Amino acid sequence: MLDIWLGILQGLGITLEVTAYGLVFAVPFALVFGVVQFLTTGMTRFLVTAVIEFWRSSAVVVLLFFFYYVLPVMGITLSALTVSALVLGLNTGGYASQAVRAGLQSLPAGQREAGMALGLSRPAILFLIELPQALVAMSPTFVNNLIQLVKATSLVSLVTLTDMTFRAKEIAQTDYDPVAIYSALLLAFFVVCYPIALAGRWLEARVNPERGTPRGI
Amino acid sequence: MGFNFDFALSTIPTIIGAIGTTLLATVLSCLGASALGFTFEMIRRGGGAPGLAVRFLIDFIRSTPVLAWLYFLYFVLPFYGIRLGAMTVGILGLSLYYSGYLAEVFKAGIDAIPKGQQEAARALSVTRRDTVVFVIAPQMLRNVAAPLGNYLVSILKATPYLAILAVPEMLGRAFDIASETYRYAEPLTVAGILFLALALILAYGVRRIEQRLLAAGRR
Repeated sequence: MLDIWLGILQGLGITLEVTAYGLVFAVPFALVFGVVQFLTTGMTRFLVTAVIEFWRSSAVVVLLFFFYYVLPVMGITLSALTVSALVLGLNTGGYASQAVRAGLQSLPAGQREAGMALGLSRPAILFLIELPQALVAMSPTFVNNLIQLVKATSLVSLVTLTDMTFRAKEIAQTDYDPVAIYSALLLAFFVVCYPIALAGRWLEARVNPERGTPRGI
Repeated sequence: MGFNFDFALSTIPTIIGAIGTTLLATVLSCLGASALGFTFEMIRRGGGAPGLAVRFLIDFIRSTPVLAWLYFLYFVLPFYGIRLGAMTVGILGLSLYYSGYLAEVFKAGIDAIPKGQQEAARALSVTRRDTVVFVIAPQMLRNVAAPLGNYLVSILKATPYLAILAVPEMLGRAFDIASETYRYAEPLTVAGILFLALALILAYGVRRIEQRLLAAGRR
């Protein structure tokens, strides 16, 4: 049982690495596209929405295979790690961008009007008044998105990255006890993700004491 | 070896042919997940030791990836002598995974119903079971329709995972073509476009139904 745990833990590094690189793509994408979608109208808004919808509506597995197998044919060869971080990051970013946009839209117009009355420029209103409030209100969604990202990293095993899921499959090929191996894999993900969920609940209660009992993960 | 459009077009009929399997897996998994999720939520509301156990199970499911659940069921069930087809295991896996999310949907749907409804039912000495079936459930259905629709789209986007268990859904078919012809780019592009189109159509339908329900609620 100890070898199983040690084997799976060997993959933890890749799991966390893909998560971290994924966030490098997800956070800027969510902020820029969410804000642009909020601020613009007409053609720009349509194009931005189309890009977001593409990343949100595509099946992640299919995109992962698409980028891994199809781009080389077009002469663009990326490493498995880059492909994974790009696909998982932009998919997560697509979801988070909608949280940013919805958060900005849900603010009362009086917030912006007060900023204008004080003579603040539009960017100043956005960065000093609107975004900080929207980000606090959206923090539970971001925690959900982060957990989704960690869980989605299990897919990188399908494009040859040696993450926890890959290690589990590897051990299952030589060991005869799939019950122990796959139970350990589920537990390993739980041990990584559940503390994030608990921290998120704590943070939610902390920043918004008047919101009452926080909802689940 | 560039991208061959004629070959890509020739793969469309085979991959579209699997659309029935994809949709069947989506609908059955959604029904299974709803039934299981509602049961979980009812046990959780009942409280006590079973309620606490289910509360932990829901958190556990929501903290673990769907792929790990599919592998778990696929390799663990035969270990205990339970031999099921890949499609059955796939639907069981998706049902179990999404039940954790749908339990939360049902929780929110029930919480949104004023407590007076339950109190009125108790005052009229309606049994707990009848209260759930005739008072809570019909009102809850309208509250949960929109999020349930969103999860239907999520489940559709999760069906390509079943290709890993060799279920012949759209991605599975695309891989069959790829392994026969050694050309991955074309069938995978076609599968990607078809999944995207299907998800957008389904999401549009869900949004229409949602708008109609909101309009009905506003009367």
